[in-house]
Amino acid sequence: MDLPEQPQNSRNSSSLKVIDCDVHPYVKDGIKSVFPYMPEAWKQRFIRKNAHVSSHARPLKYEHPNGNVNRVDARPPCGGISGSDPHFLVKDLLEKNKIQHAVLNCLQTGSLCSTLAGTDESVVLCSAFNDFLVDQWLTVDNRLKFAMSVPSQDPQASAAEIRRLGKHPQIVAVSLPLLNILMGNRYWWPIYAAAQEMDLPILVHVTGPDSIFYGPPISAGGIPDSYVERYVTLCQAGESSVNSLVFSGVFEKFPRLKVIFVEYGFLWLLPLLWRMDRTWRQLRHEVPWVKKSPVEYVHKHIRFSTQPLDEPREPKDLDKLIELMGYDQLCFSTDYPHWDNDMPGQSLRGLPKAEREKIFWDNAYSTFRMR
Amino acid sequence: MSKEKKHVTVGKIADFPEGKCTIVEIDGREVGIARLKNGEYRAVRNQCPHKGAPVCKGFISGTMVPGAVGELVYARDGEILVCPWHGYEFDLDTGAVIYQESPVKLLMYPVEIRNGEVVVTV
Repeated sequence: MDLPEQPQNSRNSSSLKVIDCDVHPYVKDGIKSVFPYMPEAWKQRFIRKNAHVSSHARPLKYEHPNGNVNRVDARPPCGGISGSDPHFLVKDLLEKNKIQHAVLNCLQTGSLCSTLAGTDESVVLCSAFNDFLVDQWLTVDNRLKFAMSVPSQDPQASAAEIRRLGKHPQIVAVSLPLLNILMGNRYWWPIYAAAQEMDLPILVHVTGPDSIFYGPPISAGGIPDSYVERYVTLCQAGESSVNSLVFSGVFEKFPRLKVIFVEYGFLWLLPLLWRMDRTWRQLRHEVPWVKKSPVEYVHKHIRFSTQPLDEPREPKDLDKLIELMGYDQLCFSTDYPHWDNDMPGQSLRGLPKAEREKIFWDNAYSTFRMR
Repeated sequence: MSKEKKHVTVGKIADFPEGKCTIVEIDGREVGIARLKNGEYRAVRNQCPHKGAPVCKGFISGTMVPGAVGELVYARDGEILVCPWHGYEFDLDTGAVIYQESPVKLLMYPVEIRNGEVVVTV
């Protein structure tokens, strides 16, 4: 737990410029809301299935112990779920905390695309949710940026979606709902090709059904038994994916591709890189397309968001580990409106000013397609 | 030099329902007034000592006391304030985080009832 160094305030009172890499818009009424953005036949199919009812399914044992993954204090005054009103989100998150840009990532789309919808359904729903958010959210405020989703069960359709929508000036990344296929696998390569072509980084984030259903990544060793067990192990897919991306040669095949791991944590990176580097030096010849140390690929191509910041009992321990990692890897994120969000005024206060500026602005600015 | 304390009437008893944390403003600061089951009142600064969340917008509850594996024992109903962000549980008697060592606690103000009105000393 952080020791208060001064009277506590979650707001950003300094002149620090901030890009928030992880904000979750919630489409009120879910699938029903995006009916106007899909062909009539698909709309009729979803109406007949009562599809909007099933899009929130989560087993009892993974429900949040306090009853809500969303902050109840972030509910819009006009009613509805936290994160469902773009006007209120701009006030409550951006203006209160002096955040210049927020990268929106819709987990409803992500969970439908990774798991909850069938392949063909996911292709239609993904486009409909993307179009809804472009139409109803990005028009509200230019500070709202968007990591457009792709229907990852169909890599070709995903690539087509990137090319269809990816030129929008407020789209700054491609949100890729992961499956239980490691990220270096050639299954994903059509998506990487399209993202590189459009100069968009790939953003990955837990979509919701992870470690619950067959389909998305599953925590190592088996299925966890509670919310807290699952929460702690969700980072494991990030570790496996970094390893896979490098040794499969993705960054040789797509030399301009960038990937940002959002909400997977980052303190595991340092020992992972030491292990990858050591093993590469010993057995490089098995993967001769990996021409440089894995450390170099990761520093050049991969970034990690900061939230949820771990909280060692001695806060300076965190600062020391970040110093060891280097300051070019991290991008600040809040995860608003989720319960475990970090606000800029309370985050990484012990770091030197110049390094803090890299993490809160520079690294994200050079990773996302900001223009 | 410490500032002089003052007594501020924040409302009548009926304004503060049991089991809720009702937020009032005192000198520009938000303070949550909680009426406990035993009829006592608490006044809590609406700022979580962990990360600054509006802690009084959480909920008042009991909790599961530490116990044997696989067994739940619910106790202290109505005596615990749960932060709406990171879920820290605070003891409304002491302001401390319960069942763990913590360097921080809730900022609480003395509160009393005078002629049916709730008076906070700040």
